[in-house]
Amino acid sequence: MSWVTIIWSMVASACLTLAAVNLLVWCKKRTEWANLLFSLTAVGTAGMAYCELWMMQAGTPAQFGTALRWLHVPAWALLVALVGFVGLYLRAGRPWLAWSFVGLRTLSLLLDFLVGQNLNYREITRLRHIPFFGESVSVAEGVANPCMLVGQLSLLLLVLFVADATVTVWRRGDRRQALTVGGSIVFFTLAGTVQAVLVLWEMVHWPMTTSFFYLGIVVAMGYDLSRETLRAAQLSEDLQESEERMTLAAEAAGFGVWMWSIARNHIWGSEQWLGLFGFAPDAIVTFENVMQRIHPEDREQVERAVRRALEDRVDYAGEYRVVLPDNTQRWVTARGRVYPDTQGKPIRMMGATTDITAGKQAEEKAQRQHEELAHLSRVTTVSELSGSLAHELNQPLAIILTNAQAAQRLLAQQPPDLAEAREILADIVSEDQRAGEVIRRLRSLLKHGETSLQPLAVNGIVEEVLQLSRNNLIGHGITVHRTLAPNLPQVQGDHIQLQQVLLNLIINASDAMSANPPAGRQLTVVTARRDGAVRISVSDTGCGLPPDAGRIFEPFYTTKKHGLGLGLPICRSIIAAHKGRLLAEASERAGGSPGATFHLELPPAAEGKL
Amino acid sequence: MSATHGTVFLLDDELGMLKALTRLLTAEGFTVRAFTSAGTFLESYRAEERSCLVLDVAMPKLSGLDLQQRLTHAGVLLPIVFLTGHGDIPMSVQAIKAGAVDFLTKPVNDADLLRAVRAAMQRSAEQRERASETAKLRERLASLTPREREVMDHVVAGQLNKQIASDLGTGEHTIKVHRARVMQKMGVESLADLVRLAERLGLGNH
Repeated sequence: MSWVTIIWSMVASACLTLAAVNLLVWCKKRTEWANLLFSLTAVGTAGMAYCELWMMQAGTPAQFGTALRWLHVPAWALLVALVGFVGLYLRAGRPWLAWSFVGLRTLSLLLDFLVGQNLNYREITRLRHIPFFGESVSVAEGVANPCMLVGQLSLLLLVLFVADATVTVWRRGDRRQALTVGGSIVFFTLAGTVQAVLVLWEMVHWPMTTSFFYLGIVVAMGYDLSRETLRAAQLSEDLQESEERMTLAAEAAGFGVWMWSIARNHIWGSEQWLGLFGFAPDAIVTFENVMQRIHPEDREQVERAVRRALEDRVDYAGEYRVVLPDNTQRWVTARGRVYPDTQGKPIRMMGATTDITAGKQAEEKAQRQHEELAHLSRVTTVSELSGSLAHELNQPLAIILTNAQAAQRLLAQQPPDLAEAREILADIVSEDQRAGEVIRRLRSLLKHGETSLQPLAVNGIVEEVLQLSRNNLIGHGITVHRTLAPNLPQVQGDHIQLQQVLLNLIINASDAMSANPPAGRQLTVVTARRDGAVRISVSDTGCGLPPDAGRIFEPFYTTKKHGLGLGLPICRSIIAAHKGRLLAEASERAGGSPGATFHLELPPAAEGKL
Repeated sequence: MSATHGTVFLLDDELGMLKALTRLLTAEGFTVRAFTSAGTFLESYRAEERSCLVLDVAMPKLSGLDLQQRLTHAGVLLPIVFLTGHGDIPMSVQAIKAGAVDFLTKPVNDADLLRAVRAAMQRSAEQRERASETAKLRERLASLTPREREVMDHVVAGQLNKQIASDLGTGEHTIKVHRARVMQKMGVESLADLVRLAERLGLGNH
């Protein structure tokens, strides 16, 4: 084995190895066109090395000519790929220069096969054997082909194109890349061209070794590409590290993190996330697997939120119940974000999920306690009204009795007054219904009930409450004035709780006026629209607010002898649960007693269905 | 027939109650005038021969007890039967003390109510009678000359003729004549009767 064969084979195999590696890179990631072009450049260089070896070992001029003719094929591929690489990888260079080069080089390749023995020789007359690396290699002698100038002109264009691109990259500030890629291409192309010109015009007796120069280019390009690859690898390592750190932080904060690759429908979840849904620690789950674990009543809502996030590219947020395989339930809250690809199609969704069961339970407990307390306060309110309510029931009963006895007398007359008796019976029926209505209302007030919000007419509630407390007010010698605005929007509320609050305010008002002379006991109830809210105002002419009026909504603060101090705090919390406000205000009244006004403001129920 | 039974003024703010009571009392032969507020009642009230007031205690604005007071002050002779939703002892005591005939709790039995109304009518008749007697006496009193009136005052005060004569600066015989005329004009036979009559007219104590 000769040194020449060894060296040229090594050049070729080095180039082929680099080509194979980069071809693989491109196969994995089809968008990395620079790797494919690099691979083509390397293959071209290997082809050139092979043709050069063929030339050096040619036995006849004809063989040499054929080898030289075929050399231009890999050279064409190499050079065209090189131009493409520069344009794509360095993102520089003038397209017209590139296309002119490709045109000229293709023309020279055509000439190579059409004119003379090859592009360089019209005819090779004889071979000369010269010593090279301790052995004898073939060098041609013959008539030069003037078409060769086309090839050399194309190389000049290549150098111009690359040099121009290099200047652009340099100016862009990427000096290292300009030097390693641009600089080396210019240098080695020029050097290779000069060597080729010297050999071909037979100014030196030396075999063609252009592939060596192109090897330099391939090495420089490969170096730069691998730097990029290394940098990407480092970046991905950093990324993974930061991802791990983030996961760690999220898990420490009680969040399970997850990433859903939408196309593959594969959800990666941190250990905590998998545990939250009762999956095995290394399970690979799909969207459907997760949906299976969501409480059937919550599934649709979650699905809707996810679909909305994907379609409208908004953040996803949800709160739902998870049912584990052993049938235990937990509440979780999840947030996620959609990541689209370059075309804007969602490819990934990432987010965090956390267990809020404890909070939910506390919330439910607080809600139950709140309802319990509200009920208790209602019972107290009703018991304060008991006299009035007894009267409210007594009244229809008294009317029924008197009517019935009057009827007995009318029927005993001769002739009996049947017409009047008929009317009496009708009255008895309606009074009985009235008594039944009082009992129904009372029962609903005393009922243990869950809060149920529904659209309500405010004026109706005011009338009902005034009816319930009518006798209490008359008994206290209170005159009631009402100004109820027509066409008020409905409010979203719990009927019984709103009645309770109003009853409380009315009882407070009547208590506040008990020390007044009868003429000074005036209760005013006004409903109105105010700043978009529906407002019910209850005003009295009583003793007014205490000096520390700010405290009247505090629990256990009371100005009444037998008060618990829970009425107003409960009222305020009920109204807060209705997203409304309860305010106290000292009435401005010239002369007369000070008095107080309580404003109850509720947001109107949304138009249409809620 | 209604003239003999009398007129019942009904006052209750509850229309249903008013209607039921009207039916019952009308069936029993009373003339009924019903009102839903003290104001309208006061406006249209005219004294009648035999009449009473059936009054609901719990009325807005002017309560039953307040109305009773108002009527007494105005010197209106109208026996009152109170009706109340809830029996309140201090309230009933106050009402009875102020002259109410009865204080009934709703629901009220028809027999109880009718008994109370008849009692009120009875009282009304008595009051009328007494009032008309007093009016007659006042007429007689007015028919006395000033001198006779002077003599009567002294006689009622228990003075003897002699004392009166010296007080008035006249003869005992003249006093005797005046005294006989007083007795005749006032329609009494004895001194005791005259003293009782003077008391009834509120002349007794100066």
